[in-house]
Amino acid sequence: MCRYLFIFLLAPLLLFSQDFKDEDYMYLKRHEHIKISLNNDAFNIVKHINEHGKFLTSKNLYYANETIGYGNFYKIEDIEAYTYLPEQDKRIDVDYIETQQQFDNMVFYSGDEYKTFTFPAVKEGAETHLSYKRIISEPHFLGSYLFAIHVPTQSAQLSVEFPKNVELGYTEFNTEHMALDFKKEETDTSFVYTWSAENTKGYKDEDDSENPMYYLPHVMLYIKNYQRNNETIPVSGTLDNLYKWYVSLVKQTDQKELDKVYAIADEITEGMTSDREKAKAIFEWVQNNINYIAFGDGYGGFIPAGAAATCDTRYGDCKAMSNLLFEMLNHKGIQAYRTWIGSRNKPYSYFDLPSTSVDDHMITTAIIEKDTIFLDATDSYVPFGMPSAFTQNKEALMGIDDTNYKIVKVPTQAADLSTTTITSDITISDGIVKVSEKRLLTGYDKVEFISDYTFKKESKTEEEYLNTTLALGNNKTGYSNILKTNFDNKSTPLELSYDLEIDSYLKSIGTKIYLNPNIDRSLSKSAVDIKDRTLSKKIDYHFKKDFTTVITIPEGYKASYIPEERSYENDNFGFRIQYVLDGKTITQHKSIYVKTLSVKTEDFEVWNDFIKGLRKAYKKSIILEQE
Amino acid sequence: MIRQLICIIALVVTSASYAQHFKTYDWKKKPKLHKITDAEAEASSVAILKKHIVEYYLSDANAQPIRYETEHKIIRVNDDQGIARHNTVYIPMYDVNNVIDIKARTISAKGKVVELNKDNIKDVSNVEEYGDFKIFAIEGVENNSEIEILYTVEKDYEIYGSETIQTDYKIKEAQFLFISGDLESNVKAYRTTETFDSVKLDGTKAELLTITDIPAMVEEEYATPKANNIAVVYQCYPKGQNISQNMFWSNVANNVGMQFFPKVVEPKAQEDVNAIVEGQTDLTSFKTVALIDNFVKNNYTIVSNNNPELSDLKYVLENRSASDYGIMKVYAQYFKALDIEFEIVITANRFLAKFDPEFFVPGMLRDFLIYLPEEQKYIAPERFEARVGEAPFNILGNYGMFIQSNYDHYFSKIIQEDPDYSRIRRDMNISFEDDFERVIIKQDQDYFGHWAETSRAVMSLSPEQGVADYKDYLTGSGIDDKEILSYEHQNADMNITKYNQPFKVQTTIASENLLEDAGDSYIFQVGLVIGTQSELYQETERINPIEMLYPNRYNYEIIVNIPEGYVAEGLESLVIHKEYKASNGKITAKWDSNYKIEDDKIIIIIEELYKTHEFDLNKYEAFRQVINAASDFNKAAILFKASE
Repeated sequence: MCRYLFIFLLAPLLLFSQDFKDEDYMYLKRHEHIKISLNNDAFNIVKHINEHGKFLTSKNLYYANETIGYGNFYKIEDIEAYTYLPEQDKRIDVDYIETQQQFDNMVFYSGDEYKTFTFPAVKEGAETHLSYKRIISEPHFLGSYLFAIHVPTQSAQLSVEFPKNVELGYTEFNTEHMALDFKKEETDTSFVYTWSAENTKGYKDEDDSENPMYYLPHVMLYIKNYQRNNETIPVSGTLDNLYKWYVSLVKQTDQKELDKVYAIADEITEGMTSDREKAKAIFEWVQNNINYIAFGDGYGGFIPAGAAATCDTRYGDCKAMSNLLFEMLNHKGIQAYRTWIGSRNKPYSYFDLPSTSVDDHMITTAIIEKDTIFLDATDSYVPFGMPSAFTQNKEALMGIDDTNYKIVKVPTQAADLSTTTITSDITISDGIVKVSEKRLLTGYDKVEFISDYTFKKESKTEEEYLNTTLALGNNKTGYSNILKTNFDNKSTPLELSYDLEIDSYLKSIGTKIYLNPNIDRSLSKSAVDIKDRTLSKKIDYHFKKDFTTVITIPEGYKASYIPEERSYENDNFGFRIQYVLDGKTITQHKSIYVKTLSVKTEDFEVWNDFIKGLRKAYKKSIILEQE
Repeated sequence: MIRQLICIIALVVTSASYAQHFKTYDWKKKPKLHKITDAEAEASSVAILKKHIVEYYLSDANAQPIRYETEHKIIRVNDDQGIARHNTVYIPMYDVNNVIDIKARTISAKGKVVELNKDNIKDVSNVEEYGDFKIFAIEGVENNSEIEILYTVEKDYEIYGSETIQTDYKIKEAQFLFISGDLESNVKAYRTTETFDSVKLDGTKAELLTITDIPAMVEEEYATPKANNIAVVYQCYPKGQNISQNMFWSNVANNVGMQFFPKVVEPKAQEDVNAIVEGQTDLTSFKTVALIDNFVKNNYTIVSNNNPELSDLKYVLENRSASDYGIMKVYAQYFKALDIEFEIVITANRFLAKFDPEFFVPGMLRDFLIYLPEEQKYIAPERFEARVGEAPFNILGNYGMFIQSNYDHYFSKIIQEDPDYSRIRRDMNISFEDDFERVIIKQDQDYFGHWAETSRAVMSLSPEQGVADYKDYLTGSGIDDKEILSYEHQNADMNITKYNQPFKVQTTIASENLLEDAGDSYIFQVGLVIGTQSELYQETERINPIEMLYPNRYNYEIIVNIPEGYVAEGLESLVIHKEYKASNGKITAKWDSNYKIEDDKIIIIIEELYKTHEFDLNKYEAFRQVINAASDFNKAAILFKASE
């Protein structure tokens, strides 16, 4: 996945939010004042940050370590920081600030820097004071202000002062349920907008939840335009302005040696007649041959690498790959468009917030025989025709030409496209359960399996990897004859087959054998802790699992108990388990589906009913008795 | 940081110029793909060559030798993971004065060569504590191609150095070439049977170590793979100087001694100490050191950056921010003020390096501890969660250099004085509700030693999700539908002043899933109440010696109340006995589970213990069986049948 933008804005927040409880430290004051000046068409934007914190305990003195991140469009000036010890009425200044860079898992090279320092002499009761200026050199990046962060804030305030010939836009998010004070003031030459909130709570991350920006109260600011001699000069804050700016950047893409690129496209599609076939071949070529490496320094974070350079180096980020697809597809006469999109990490819509903050990714959209096909080659395994899972249900800004664009929603992919079909034959021999199983995976189930297998298996053997990920039977399940076919990015199902031996799984007592046929207990651990959970549960994609398990009754035995049918079904999720006895075999049919991308807090009870129902059904054993 | 402890031994150099090897060393003009075996083609990547050259060069122009280091690697990449592992390159610029050359190329399966455009090399500065880097992405990589990287850098003169050879992918041929010419030198290789050959390069004296077919180092459980890689260490110093290893060590001991054992107590330190002990009663020597440790950990921040003042005692006492080095001076001041005897221990995290008392390289001196000989206890100044007690588990078993107040030093393996330090007592009382609708489990537990330390740290420092995950562990992990009905703990405050105070926890949980219906009978998955135990796999030959986190012992008593009108069957699955006997015949690890029936109760007694943390690799199978006995027990189940 490609993030080319605001890594550095979120970095300090995420750094702190991960490891520490919020009760140990809080902000008494967290104020930001932005002063926008305009001089001969040049903006001068300075954000004054003023923070006053307090250690409530000495448990997490780690909060004394401060990091201020900034990218190429920012400068940090006039840092003043000190610790105040109220008991002694003593101030101790921070006298050492270091400039560092960091390695990032997502972006190979960004040019981002960090000012780091440590507040001295902190202990329980100590207060920290920090003020500095963030000089913003690119007027498209006014940024956001969060009223609530990882620790409580007593006084949160954002103010922005701008000349009267500038039109400022803003959009508030998640502020409906808080007491947020907003006022507009005026001086002779400027307007001043001020938002203030008091006593905002610290937020806590929860597993499998949406990105914090989906629920944290914040405001985003943008400069719409300014007046110059009765002329309105656009900047940002409308879709037209945003698109115009994006076009101005992608126009700077290196167009050198495109012939080389065209020659590759010609070679890949040689002998093909249909546009669909050609587009598929080109897409798969880019998936297979261009390695994902992201660069995000300066405007390089917005301007794609040239298509020829991408072919030469065989690497690129989302912009580079989408640009290469764009050039190759158009060369082959296939309608293809540059497309900006926000991943599911971004909660915004282009209509609510026409700003660069909406998106963090680029793809290519092709129109083939009236089908709109979203092509994201950064996902090396997604089959042609499906968007990458993390762009589902997101708005795509499709650039038609220099002035025209279209916003299209990427459809959520139906559960039928991401299925796992499992057929298992169970036999019992000398008290050991033997299973011969085959799994056919399609869509995102296939993508997820291949990418996890490729990048997370590490030095584990196939058996250990499957045992820990599929968790079939018990922790003594032995695997043999493991076979994988169609381990690729095509739409043919991935086929995974193996034989299992599960020792100590069935209970054999007296004349009876107790066998639980649910060796796969998918979703049994997925109940939500309703008492403590406050955030919705994120689901990556819609999926369906179909199991057919055939149990051969051993010689000399008969089935004396077969569990009854159980089911739970609603529009968003459900399951059904049925048993059929036919002579010497018992067949269990089990299907599970999830058709939602998020379980909202108000639906937790229903979700838990589904999981509980499934668990109850998983508990049912078959009893085989000696004849 | 430790580097500043070592005074460079005076150099009296007699110059003798000779040709520099790196100037003529080069890659092949016309590269061709190398042959690999079928097994190597199966791996994500394999190194065809990994060659490292260290060259000390003394010219007429310089008073000190210059150190050149050349790295040459050829790597075959076979799949996406192999490409992702090798297509970005980070060259550390630590100590580097000058980059002589950096070049890289790929040779595709079809033989096409793409060379790195040097304009694409980026500089990254001051990356946390790692210094500067040159980074670049390899160009033209595709499946089944070879990546070749060759670079030479010129570094500051340094007497010592080390190089790790083995890595997480196979190396077909590794070479370490050490060129010291007329200078005095020592080299040593670890964990290989190959030895250095003396060679002459254009008449210059050099040592060459060649190792073929080095297997990939694999992550294994109960192991320290990073510290077990094949590696070399070296020393190089002027001709005619006869420096023994002991001279190097004594040099360190003197420097450390002079810096850390104070002659006078700073007024600010005295003031702190007065405040620490003020109003304290029953001030045993243990309690005194515990109070000091708690004070330091609640008032000082350890910082890793380049600020030299963080090691300056006066600055540190005033600003309460210190380097790992500065904080040692603080402890030393406080101990001096209270007249407490202590020793400085320099050692290393055993998961990263095995400390070798027989060969001095500063790279091995990574961690400081304070040893209190009277108490036989350690303080880990840098570890916030650790308080006076046994040595931290990541140090346990490594050697350390102990420096006394008279600057004498000795080496000792760092052991646990109390072998029974870490243990868990867990009592459970299990009953069934609503005609086998659900199980109720009441638990009462004490966690001692490292278990207690970890528990306190998680409860105090983790975010809510971390605390929730830990409570899940404390109440029995892996029970899908577990409902925690009550939870209470004591002794969670990290600021303890008693030795090995247990972390105590009492809980009640309910689960329906532990019961399975089978017609008119019920299967109770009793084995799962001890929490999910993972199986220790070993399908390929075990590579690493066995090292657990720390010696520990578990004692469980599980009482299962048999409901009226039912009889219990299948109890034999509760009986498991596995043991590990050391070479001297003593049982040093075991699992023992058994049961008895008293009235309407099944009483299950389990003891699992590991008396040491190190076990013999040759007896791996016996060790594995003891470990896996817990996962065997996981499958124990009791069948409740209506009594006739």
